Amino acid sequence: MGSKEICRNELRIAVRQLSDRCLYSASKWAAEQLVGIELDPVKFTPSNTRFQRGSSSIHRRFRNNEITSTPIAGVSYVSTPVMEEDDIVDGDFYLLAKSYFDCREYRRAAHVLRDQSGKKAVFLQCYALYLAGEKRKDEENIELEGPLGKSDAVNKELVSLERELSMLRKNGSIDPFGLYLYGLVLKEKGNEHLARNLLVESVNSYPWNWSAWSELQSLCTTIDILHSLPLNNHWMKDFFLAGAYQELRMHNESLAKYEYLQGTFSFSNYIQAQIAKVQYSLREFEQVEVIFEELLRNDPYRVEDMDMYSNVLYAKECFSALSYLAHRVFMTDKYRPESCCIIGNYYSLKGQHEKSVMYFRRALKLNKNCLSAWTLMGHEYIEMNNTPAAVDAYRRAVDINPCEFRAWYGLGQAYEMMGMPFYALHYFRKSVFLQPSDSRLWIAMAKCYENDQLHMLEEAIKCYRKAANSNDREAIALHQLAKLHRKLGRLEEAAFYYKKDLERMEAEERDGPNMVEALLFLATHCKDQKRFEEAEVYCTRLLDYTGPEKETAKSLLRGMRIAQSGFPSMSAEHFPP
Amino acid sequence: MAGILKVPGAFDVTPHKVSLCILLQVYASPNQLFVPFPFSSFAQHNRLGLFLLALTKSCDDILEPKLHELINQSREIGSSSIDWLADHLISRLSSLSSPDDLFNLFTEMRGVLAGQDAGIVEDDQIILDPNSNLGIFLRRCILAFNLLSFEGVCHLLTNIASYCKEVLSSRAPHEAHLDGSGVNLMEASEYENMDLENLVFEKVTEEIEAKKKAGERIPFHLHVPTPIFGLVEDIELSAKPTFKQSTKGKEAISYAMTLDGSSGAVDHGFFLRSNWQIQGYLLEQTDAIEKHGSSFPLNALEFMLGQLQKLAPELHRVHFLRYLNSLYHDDYASALENLHKYFDYSAGIEGFDGIPPSSGFNNSGRYEIALLCSGMLHFHFGHPKQAVEALTEAVRVSQQHSNDTCLAYTLAAICNLLSEIGISNASGLLGSSYSPVANMGTSLSIHQQLFVLLKESLKRAESLKLKRLVASNHLAMAKFHLMHVQRPVLSFGPKASMKLITSPINVCKELRLSSNLISDFDIESSMMITDGSLSTTWLKNLHRQRGSSVIFEETEPGNRSNASSFFSQPNSIPGSVSQLVGASYLLRATAWEMYGSAPLARMNALVYATCFADCASSVDAAVAYGKLIQYLAAYKGYKAAFAALKTVEEKFISVSKSQIMVLKLQLLHERALHRGHSKLAQQICDELAVLSSPVTGVDMDLKAEASFRHARTLLAAKQFSEAAAVAHALFCMCYKFNLRVQDASTLLLLAEIHKKSGNAVLGIPYALASLSFCESFNLDLLKASATLTLAELWLSLGSIHAKRALTLIHSALPMILGHGGLELRARAHIAEAKCHLSDASFSVPETSGVVLDSLRQACDELQILEYHELAAEAFYLMAITFDKMGQLEEREQAASSFQKHIMALEKVTDEEDPLLK
Repeated sequence: MGSKEICRNELRIAVRQLSDRCLYSASKWAAEQLVGIELDPVKFTPSNTRFQRGSSSIHRRFRNNEITSTPIAGVSYVSTPVMEEDDIVDGDFYLLAKSYFDCREYRRAAHVLRDQSGKKAVFLQCYALYLAGEKRKDEENIELEGPLGKSDAVNKELVSLERELSMLRKNGSIDPFGLYLYGLVLKEKGNEHLARNLLVESVNSYPWNWSAWSELQSLCTTIDILHSLPLNNHWMKDFFLAGAYQELRMHNESLAKYEYLQGTFSFSNYIQAQIAKVQYSLREFEQVEVIFEELLRNDPYRVEDMDMYSNVLYAKECFSALSYLAHRVFMTDKYRPESCCIIGNYYSLKGQHEKSVMYFRRALKLNKNCLSAWTLMGHEYIEMNNTPAAVDAYRRAVDINPCEFRAWYGLGQAYEMMGMPFYALHYFRKSVFLQPSDSRLWIAMAKCYENDQLHMLEEAIKCYRKAANSNDREAIALHQLAKLHRKLGRLEEAAFYYKKDLERMEAEERDGPNMVEALLFLATHCKDQKRFEEAEVYCTRLLDYTGPEKETAKSLLRGMRIAQSGFPSMSAEHFPP
Repeated sequence: MAGILKVPGAFDVTPHKVSLCILLQVYASPNQLFVPFPFSSFAQHNRLGLFLLALTKSCDDILEPKLHELINQSREIGSSSIDWLADHLISRLSSLSSPDDLFNLFTEMRGVLAGQDAGIVEDDQIILDPNSNLGIFLRRCILAFNLLSFEGVCHLLTNIASYCKEVLSSRAPHEAHLDGSGVNLMEASEYENMDLENLVFEKVTEEIEAKKKAGERIPFHLHVPTPIFGLVEDIELSAKPTFKQSTKGKEAISYAMTLDGSSGAVDHGFFLRSNWQIQGYLLEQTDAIEKHGSSFPLNALEFMLGQLQKLAPELHRVHFLRYLNSLYHDDYASALENLHKYFDYSAGIEGFDGIPPSSGFNNSGRYEIALLCSGMLHFHFGHPKQAVEALTEAVRVSQQHSNDTCLAYTLAAICNLLSEIGISNASGLLGSSYSPVANMGTSLSIHQQLFVLLKESLKRAESLKLKRLVASNHLAMAKFHLMHVQRPVLSFGPKASMKLITSPINVCKELRLSSNLISDFDIESSMMITDGSLSTTWLKNLHRQRGSSVIFEETEPGNRSNASSFFSQPNSIPGSVSQLVGASYLLRATAWEMYGSAPLARMNALVYATCFADCASSVDAAVAYGKLIQYLAAYKGYKAAFAALKTVEEKFISVSKSQIMVLKLQLLHERALHRGHSKLAQQICDELAVLSSPVTGVDMDLKAEASFRHARTLLAAKQFSEAAAVAHALFCMCYKFNLRVQDASTLLLLAEIHKKSGNAVLGIPYALASLSFCESFNLDLLKASATLTLAELWLSLGSIHAKRALTLIHSALPMILGHGGLELRARAHIAEAKCHLSDASFSVPETSGVVLDSLRQACDELQILEYHELAAEAFYLMAITFDKMGQLEEREQAASSFQKHIMALEKVTDEEDPLLK
């Protein structure tokens, strides 16, 4: 990695250049990373200390990883020369246009710049036109149809923009920002291939524009495409790759990249949030919670990604924490899809599903492509037993992003509820394909197979085995495996899994009917196998429990003693298990 | 939730309607005199009125005409004032530059209508009666405009601008002064850059041309452009009842362009008319797909569907069409995906009735239909296990929701499935989960289960009055009777009569019953509505909707031509019904083929090919043609057959490739065997084997056929033990998969192999076994052939058995001569001659006439077939006979013919076969 100082300098210039061109989200991102760079102790100044405050346990933990998880150490980075501005002093018209732009008067801004020829002015004009078209498109979406349906409004400026930008490109008078915009326009028009090339060209000549990277990322739908991109080896590429890996569900690779990046940008909120996202996908909820707590401490008014935090709180059933979070985001900005999702989650946890649906609908009104809102709304409908509505909601989520395994899972669940286990299998298969490491999905699929109507026990066993191999937290799989094997009369296998289950329960210090069942089976099984000593151990353990099992254990013990003392034939008839 | 589905037939104000209003104003302007200004006579004025009437009638089409089209149409009024009218229209439209202008326009429109309180009406004043057709139209427009929000008005304004920009740009030079159209022009030039419309259109024409090149004629006239032209013809209905013909071609093209071009992101949306219209289009496409199977152009339709989905995102039926499309193109993944998508979105409800999905949430959807469809899908792709699971689930769910119709269809589907998959496959399938038959106990064989199921399904269909299902159940029953030995179902034990025999009478009965369908439909065509449940029949439902609207319109006077063009099929019998009836003829042909009556089989196939070809699916049609060609090959020789094959191949260019392909290979193989090209025969045989699917239990017929031919090829190459081994394996397979007819012929083949290898004693039991098989299955022709083989076997045991052989031959002769093919007849003749010749009591001079007669016949027949080996034998026998009779000249002649055939057999010239390419 380039030294921190280089990054810092590059970013400083980039922030200015980006905001000069009104690429605000990119400039915001760059600025965030800028302050996320760890300070050299030498230049430590008191004014910067507030960003040091959060160097808590996770930071230290991640720093430890730094050395081990440096995958591309030694790769020399291409240093891209910082772009020189063509005119140091902005023209008066440019200043006016930028002010208009800042006031969100896009058409006015474009109009002011109509005769300007500087690269910056031309870009801003095009960009303003583009945004004006986008704004109009959004409005039309609402005018033409209900906000929740699909709609076919299009940005009317795309055609003229494409013409203009392609002309500029032919002239060779296009700058990286123009290329970015051109790529954006083409992507919207559906010409993904060319869009990808243009975006690559843009990021290669000006790597600090995060918006261009993220557009590029959304165009990399397969790993092959990702690897075929001719990208320069700039340090920004690592950010890009990390994000792309995450999208492609290569969580561990992504995590490694982020941790590596954290070596330089150790205080970057962005990286922390992304790590949290990856951990969330890996279902490491504890860690996610820690990270988010930390994030909120440093950045209390953050709304981005907070819906994921709320998911974690939901999963852990932290009522008060969730309500606190909901309140906080509500006060910060209630009209954000994230805020609505958080509130929806809260109501869902409270069991008030109608209200929860209302908030998810609001989230969708704000952004109808909000994936998690569709999925969560589907969950709510499932809770409300309105399966057709749930199916519809899930299906929309899946159509927005076919990799949304939760929605596939939800679809399967909905159909299973309707008594169509075979039909549901299709969906479970999809979800399992996308997320093979999630034991819950395997268990759901196994349940489906085990269903009375299908009764495909062999397949169910296969699924449970997969689940048991992939970190099954609730330890359902082992128990079910044992039970199924017993049902199928394969006692040896059953004993094996009961034993495993028992060990696990002992390790986790859990107790309950499963324990009794396992002990009872093992006791009888060992006795039948004439392994009396073992059987005695289990029986004595059973004696600790109350209920009929205790009596059975006693009679078993008695039977064994009699058998050992020379009346083997008696035991079978007198003491049936 | 599921978006807001536009109410079918919602009345929006569109630019087209605005121009109609303007024309209406011209027609009935209140302050004009007796004959309004631009018109010189009443007649002209009236003609405009009629024109407007036609236009208002057609304003619910999918596509509205563009401005220049409207103007072109109006030219047909044929008045000198038309130019003025057009100019007036354009200037009015282009002067609408602000929302207020629109408001004013519609306020003016109100003046056109005579209000009730208009007071004194002067005699010669032209007034639009508010209750007349035109008046109602105008009032609807005004109402719709008044309901518009300000945003709506703005949209209308932009739409009007793009509506007239084309005409303006073409008129630009001299009309630029008319209005401030400078801005419009600029925009127009910008749109001209988008060549999308032309591009798409070019692509389509290119494809048409490519097709034309590929196959001289376009037999079905149903290649690429059909989706578009079909659509257009459907739409064209209207607007110009009187002057349609002249411009038809041109119009069609321009419509096609506009629909395609609507993806061009500019001005779509206002071409989308009523939902019913699009659904009607989808209905036609569905029929077309089912009819033409894999020959249907995949990408063209896919493209159209993509367009439609953009235009009408809430029209989920598009997904269903996609499913069908990929199903028939054997794209498993995409078919499955689209099927699930369709049912996820629509809950299976869309298309059944007019209920919008929002109110549909109360009931639980029609997911059982989804299951039924997915069962059929799995069946189609050869996954019987999954298919059974899905269908069982469908049974359960439809019982739960008490959807009897779906249940009946599901049962029929299960029957179909059971009869298609072989017994060994099924036995593993029907576990305890198999609820429909679980209560019958496990002691029943698959056949008995199938029989019971068929009965049950038939009963259910009858009680529900699902005529089509009843008919198809009868067909299935007939098929069952045709293929299976009848056993008493529920009586067991030693006393039960175990007479194993198929029942041709039942077949006949069932077939007749199924044909009753057509008369039923003549009587009560409304019954079809009840069939609403089968996957595609929701579309029929729609048909009804459209139909009823037609009737409604017909009651209104003066617009008959419109109404009649609503019907795509003028006859009252729906395509699916005639398809079913056709299927019964096809089944009849098959039945007769099996029972051994060639003329009857041929007749039925002919009936099918002539009467039902237009409604048949291409696969069925190919089967019928195949039967006819096989008949030709067997009775008229290969020349005729190949000539026919050539025409058929042209007819089905790429259609049902495998059907025709199989037929061609069969013929080629047969000929190669006859000519003695065993290498070639083997090669063809291998090709045939490759055509079948590698999955076990699928394409069993084809597999059996390939291996049967393999055995025959080996036999021809005199590799007897190999041939016997293959035939034996084949017999085992056929037995396992319950292919009884093939069993019989395999046994016969085994007998034949033993006969050829000179092991007649071994051959006789096989021949006898085959005979008894044939008897129990009523396979008369095969039986005759088995008798012949038996006779030949006896004969080869020595001349003492000649008498017995002769009796056998004589017993089989009527059948053979009446129905047998050339080869069989020739063999019979030769065998007969041989019997006579080897008979000790045979005296040449007396009986030589008989011998020579039959030998001559055999020679003629064999020469047609080019069956060198047998022909040589016949000539040899003939030469011997002549020799015995002392007719040396004839003897020489026969001998030279013999030599010719032997030579032909020996020099297996590898003349390149043009057909094999």
